[in-house]
Parts: sequence; structure tokens; C-alpha cells
Amino acid sequence: MVRLDLKNLAKSFKATKILDDVSLSVEAGEIVAVLGPSGTGKTVLLRIVAGVEDPDGGNVIIDGEDMTDVAPDRRGVGMAFQNFALFPHLTTFDNIASPLSARRIPQDQVVQRVKSIAHMLKIDHVLGHAPRELSNGQKQRTALARALVAAPKVLLLDDPLRNVDAKLRYEMRLELPRLLRTFDAAVIYVTQDYKEAMALGDHIAVLRGGRIEQWAPPSTVYREPASIDVARLFGDPTINLLPCRLDRDGNGVSVKLLGRNVALSPAYTHAAGRELIAGLRPEHITVDDASVRDAIPFALEAVMPVNVRSVLYLRGPAGEELLATVGETEAARFGRGHRQVWGALVPSEILFFDAGSGRRVAPQAD
Amino acid sequence: MRGALPYVLSLPALLVCVGILIPFFTAMYYSLLRFRLSLPMMKGFIWFDNYIAFLSDAAFWNTVSISLTYAFLTVVIELVLGLGIALLLVRPTRLNNAASILLLLPLMTAPALAALMWKLMTNPNFGILSYLVSLAGLTDFRWASDPKTALLTVTLVDVWVYTPFIMILLLAGLRSLPKQPFEAASLDGVPRSFVFFRITLPMLMPYIITATLFRLLDSIQQFDIIYSMTQGGPGDRLMVFQVQAYLEFFQYTNVGRSAALMIVLWAITYGLSNIFIKHWLKLRERARSLA
Amino acid sequence: MERMSRFERALRGVLIALVLVFFLFPIFWILLMSLQTNDQILRIPPSLLFEPTLTNYAALLTGRLETAAGNLDIAFMRNLGNSLLLSICAVLLSLALGVPAAYAFARFKFRLGENIAFTLLSFRFAPPLLVLLPLSLYFKQLGLTDTYVGLVWVYQLICLPLILWIVRGYFEDISPDIEHAYRIAGHSWWQSFRRIAIPLAKPGIAAAGLLAFIFAWNNFVFALILASADKQPVTVGALAFVTASGIQYGQIAAAIVLSVTPTLALALYAQRYLVEGLSLGAVKG
Repeated sequence: MVRLDLKNLAKSFKATKILDDVSLSVEAGEIVAVLGPSGTGKTVLLRIVAGVEDPDGGNVIIDGEDMTDVAPDRRGVGMAFQNFALFPHLTTFDNIASPLSARRIPQDQVVQRVKSIAHMLKIDHVLGHAPRELSNGQKQRTALARALVAAPKVLLLDDPLRNVDAKLRYEMRLELPRLLRTFDAAVIYVTQDYKEAMALGDHIAVLRGGRIEQWAPPSTVYREPASIDVARLFGDPTINLLPCRLDRDGNGVSVKLLGRNVALSPAYTHAAGRELIAGLRPEHITVDDASVRDAIPFALEAVMPVNVRSVLYLRGPAGEELLATVGETEAARFGRGHRQVWGALVPSEILFFDAGSGRRVAPQAD
Repeated sequence: MRGALPYVLSLPALLVCVGILIPFFTAMYYSLLRFRLSLPMMKGFIWFDNYIAFLSDAAFWNTVSISLTYAFLTVVIELVLGLGIALLLVRPTRLNNAASILLLLPLMTAPALAALMWKLMTNPNFGILSYLVSLAGLTDFRWASDPKTALLTVTLVDVWVYTPFIMILLLAGLRSLPKQPFEAASLDGVPRSFVFFRITLPMLMPYIITATLFRLLDSIQQFDIIYSMTQGGPGDRLMVFQVQAYLEFFQYTNVGRSAALMIVLWAITYGLSNIFIKHWLKLRERARSLA
Repeated sequence: MERMSRFERALRGVLIALVLVFFLFPIFWILLMSLQTNDQILRIPPSLLFEPTLTNYAALLTGRLETAAGNLDIAFMRNLGNSLLLSICAVLLSLALGVPAAYAFARFKFRLGENIAFTLLSFRFAPPLLVLLPLSLYFKQLGLTDTYVGLVWVYQLICLPLILWIVRGYFEDISPDIEHAYRIAGHSWWQSFRRIAIPLAKPGIAAAGLLAFIFAWNNFVFALILASADKQPVTVGALAFVTASGIQYGQIAAAIVLSVTPTLALALYAQRYLVEGLSLGAVKG
């Protein structure tokens, strides 16, 4: 089983530290999604793994062998670039065949393998075309085919769906995991889209400020984000944030939010008295016409339909601005807004972050 | 090994650099010597005496004056002519494009051979130009053999060879100008002369400056045309820098003096080209960013 | 500028015609002269109608000149051969040396590269004789005077900077990711250079090579100083020819025609490359 290990990678350009002590491991057959805003060094990371960029420090270990000083043509890595990087003066067939011809594989095998992967990626009908004659989607699949055809141990995908139209992107998001599983390679998939990361990654590495801010399976990153920044990255619409303070009272721990005292699990006792920021995901705010016990009054300012949900723009009792999501059918009740509604929070879903560092304050079970 | 690659690749270019720099420094050294090949025993270090001697040497000032006059005349004429032709051919019609291709030909002719062609054409006995000029009443027009008209003749040859260079540059410049200002001006009914002087020319200035400096620097060092035509004559009427230096070296074998002369010329061109290179690099950056 | 009056259009036409006449006439006239005998040439007034003859070219090609004063051996074909040999060798050498160097300058940022580029750039405008006069003395010491090797080497001073300037820009225009992809696919640096960089920069290499050939062919002063009679190219040889054969104007004209035809033909055939190379060399550097 081939494993990719990245140990303490560091890279600076001029005075800026692009990568600062980045470490992660990818097993064969596993997809690691590296997520982060643009310019945070995700592409640099891939280039270092591929060998076309040298790190200032750290090691790249493939299958137990330290490849840090090895030239890119001897690493056995496959890479698909964001802007495709197809060879403009070669046909699609020759583009895909390139890694095979580099390995001196006999021509009849080359033809067979190229045709087979082209068929898998549904581009076998454009094999004779030049890259400039292909659509973006076809170019992307050619780039993928080229990366996959030699069955590399390590596969690097640099935001491959970025330059592809929305419909195709959606289709490929479903197809890719299936396709990648048949190859049993260690895959690093770089993206700026958290939904893509959650859909494709077995593990997600959130890269911010040159460091990995969180390393966890998708559901964990969503439900237990390591910091406010991570919480904000995941979720659409973005998580609601309210400053607050945990207080110890007779019944345990509670927090005053939106004018109501919300009782919390005793696992939060250790955080009592600290300045915190509460995170409320929009889907965890229930909204209703009628008031129920302890419901919070909201002014519903606007209703915006988004696909099969609607986003409600709420203004709380003290003027706090919140977003909540409800299903389509429920949204119909609220019309266009401009009325009073009643909302309730789900206490077990409230996230707490330290107001100073932004790091999440996790409940501690004793 | 990977780090050494760029050095290995550029090694030959480096050798050429060295091949230029060694004679260059040698020339500097020679210019500080009294050194005549025909009188080797007199070779000696005389510091800047060669240069100081220039200051009082009428021949030197003649060289300076002639070189500057020649450079000025040729560049001004070529600039005006080149701009005019570029304006004539600016619209990309088939005719204009064919014309601009044909106009490349003089530029591709070796200047030394161009001088020979014009020498034949201005031959007093059978030259077509002598004939045509005689029809206008100017019999016995001696062209390059006459001190009064020699400068005019070589200037003519230079203009013939090098105007197309300016034309190409300015044509490329004109065609790359944005259309909007001109469309707006024509919508507003702005008179054409205004458009030309206040819109076209300013926008074309980088190209004009590039073309001018390029030609100025080449013209002040002209050798091929003048040497082929008259070897510097008649008398010393056309004794520009490089021709003078050549004769100093090969006729008078005065290595010291010819080296000093070349250093003076180099100093002039170095100063001019420094101004130019800075400007050129700016233009290049702009071209890059617009691309 | 959309509508031009008929007058304006006519005026433009006339002006363009005049310009073309001025710039093309000398070539045309020398061509005519080359097809005339001495008597026809010396006839006044000169006329456009005459019986063309190829004897001038025949004399040049066979190398024998028959004059009233006796027979003269002309070695002009040798000059033509020299031009061909020197220019081709100089260009091939400068491409072999310059293309990899241009690649190094384009892809790697290294101090030595910037220094080399700067030196070559600043010497573009330096007087050739500044370097050539001392060089001629060195050549004598090294025994390189009047050798093809010495001349081809010196011609690099003209050709190499040209190649470096033009080709560097073309390499810079190739996205580095394409070469990265080729390397990652398993090919060595050399294969990437040969199979990706060079093919994609081919127009630039062609333009540079063409220009270098023309500049080398048209060169006068290098050969004047460093070559003697049997190694001289046509530029120097034609001048010597004029002095030697004195009154054989038809043959002089024919020699000039033969000397300029290669570069003019190249210019017409590859004018697109040329214009690109010239303006690139001047503007985009």
C-alpha cells in the first residue's frame, strides 16, 4: 500500500511564508481534499509534491522513499493542472499517451490503455483532435486522463473543476470519486469550494496562513470546526456569529443569546466566565409563525429563495442580524417577509469559539 | 546538478560576452598609449595625452562635426519620411500591405552594396541620376566626388536604406493605438490636424523615441555606406568617427589614436544609449502588460 | 477616417506610388544595368528599351572576363560562396549556442543571466571598431586572421545577441505549466526542451535565424578587417571588384544583383517573420 507523507514542508517567496510547517499523510485509495482561499499556497503544495518546485524545508516521502531531491520525471506522480496545461502541438491521444511513452511502453499497449481511459472519461471521440478544438470540459478530462493513464501511485488534482461549467462540474463531482477509487492512488485534491471538498474528500485539510488549521473527515470539519475561520468556510449561507458569555448559574451553565437564557450541557462548565462568540448555523434556527414557549421574536426582513431552500433575513430583539434557512414549502408561509416571526435555537448545535483566538471551545466530558 | 543547468546553458553566451569585453578593455588600455605599429619601439604609456591632443586637433573636431551633422540630418529626414509613409499606409488594405512589404527591400540590402548601387547611379558618365539631374539644368553634378554635395549624397543613400526601419516601427505603433479616442474625435467633428498633433503624435511618442534613438545611435557610427562610397573623401569631407578610426589604424597604423577615437565615440553612444535603454525597458514592460 | 474624398484617395495613391518608385527604383535600375553591355550602359540618354544580354552573368559565373585589354579572372563566385558559407555557419552556430541560453534566461532567474543580458544589450550600440581593431591584433597573434573559423566566431557578435533577444521572449510566452506537465509525465529536462519548448518557440527561432542570416550576410566591416581576398564575402568583394574591373559596369551591376538577391528573396519569402523579429527586437526586446 503506497503512502504519501508530507513532513514539515516550508516554502517562502521573498518575505512571505507561503507554507509554514505543513504535514499530512495520504493512504493509497484515499482522497485528501486541501481547502483554502486562493493564494494560500495550495498550488505551491502540489508543485512541491510533484517536484517542480523545491521546498525550503521538509520532506516529501512516497512509498517510504524520500523524494524531496528527486526530479519530477522520476517521482511517478500524476498531476492535473487547473488550466489544463495540455501540449498544444500534440493531439489529444498524444497528450494522454505522454506518460506512457515516457515509460517506454510498447506502442500497442499504449494505444490500448489510452483508448480505455479515454472511454472511461468519455473523450474517446475526440482523441484525434488538437487541444484548441476541445471544449473546456473535454480539456479537463484530457488532463485527467493524462494524469491517470500511467496508474500513478500519487495523484495530484489542482482544482480540476474550476474552469468547467456548472453543470459539468456537478456531474464530475459525482463521477470523480467513483473513477478515482478504481485507481487506488493516494490523491490530493485541491479546491476552493467547500462543497467539493466535502463531497470528494475522505479527509479535509484546511490550509490557512501557510498552516493546516484542521485535519478531519468532512462531517467532523462541519460539525466541529477548529476555529471561526473554518466554521465560516463551511456552510452556505455562512454561520451566524454572536458575541456572548457563558454564565454559571444554579442549574449548570447557560448563555444569554438574543435576550433569552439558553441552558447548555454541563460539559461547557469549564468555559464559564470567558468572552466567547457563539456560532449558530442557519439550518439550526427554527422559524415559525406562532409563538411557542421561550421562542424569540424576530423581525423577518426578507425571504430569498435559493434552490430548494429559502434564506430568511432576521433581525433579533436587540437588532442582531441573523440568517436562517427553511425548506421551500415552509418558506411559502412567510411570503415576502416584513412581519414578525418566532424562532428557536437548538442548544446542542450551538458552537462556541474563544473571542480572542477564534479557536473553538469544545465541550469537555468528564 | 539541477542548479548548474542555467549556467551550463548560458556558457556560450558568456564566452561571447568575454570575447567582447576583452578587446574592449584592451582598446581602453591602448587609448592611453603612444602606440604605432610601424614604430614599435616608441610604444609607451602616455595617460590621456591622446585625448588632450584631440582637443586641439582640427581633424578631430572635423570628425565630430561631420558625424553629428550626418546623424542629425539622416535621423530627422528618416523620421519625417518614415512617419509620413506610415501614415499613408496605416489602413490595412491589400495594396498598403503589399507596399509595406516591398518597402522592406532597401532595408534588407547590405548598406555597403546600397552605396555601390548609388555610386553607379550617380556616376557622372552614365549614371541615371546624373542624367536626370542634368535635365533639370544641373550639368556636371558631381555627387559624392564634390565636397559640396558629398554629404547630401551619402545622406540620400542612408535615407534610402534606413527609412523603412522607422516606417515599420511607426506603422506597428500606429496600428496598435486604441481606436476609441479617434472614433470619439471624429464623432465630435474635431479637425484632422488637431487629431494628428494632439492625439496621434503624443500616443505615438514612445515608438518615435525608440525609433529615433535607435537610428541616432547607429547613424553616428555609420561606416559601411561612407566607406564604400568615398572612404571618407573627398578630402576629409566625410570623415566620420569610424571611418577616421579605420584609417588611423590601417593607413597610419596609429593604434593609440584610433583606440582613443573609438573610446570617445563609445562614450557618446554609451551616454545616449543609457537614456534609451531605461526608456526602452519601460516601453517593453508596457507592451508586456498590455499583451 | 471612414470616408475619403475621391481627391484624397487619388492623392494617397499618387504619394504611395512616388514612395514606391523612390525605394524600388535603384534595385530595378541596377537589374537593368546588369542586363546591358557596356556600350548600352554608356549610351546617353539612357533608355528603358534595349536588347537584354546575359553575358555579364555568364562572365561572373564562369569567372572569366573578356575585356579589350585582355582576359581577367574574376573570383566573384568565390565571394558569393564565402558569404553563403559564413552566414550559414554563423547562424547555425548562434542558434546552437543562443537558443539554450535564451531558454536559460527565460526560465531561470539567475544573476549571471541578468549580467550577460545587460552586457550584450549595452554593447548593441557600441561602435564595432572599438572591439574589432584590438581584436584584429589578437587574431594575428592567435593565427585566426583570414580563417573561416575566426570569422564565424566573430560573426557571433552580431548573431548571438539577436537570437538571445528574440527567442527569449518566445520562450517566456510559453506557460511553464506545460513544461511542468511534460516533466511530471516522466520526461527529462532535455526531452522537455527538445519536444515542448523548441517546437512551441519555433516561429521565434525561425524569425531570429532569418534575421541573423540577413545581418550576417550584409555585414561589411567585420570581413573588411579580418579577412583577406579569398575569404571575403560579397559585401567586401563587390567593392574590390569595382576597383579591380574599373570599366566593366555591366558586370559590377550583375555582381551587385547576385549579392543582394539572396537577402531580398529571403525578405520577401519570410517577411512576416522579419517584421515581427524587427519590431520585437526594437520594441518588445
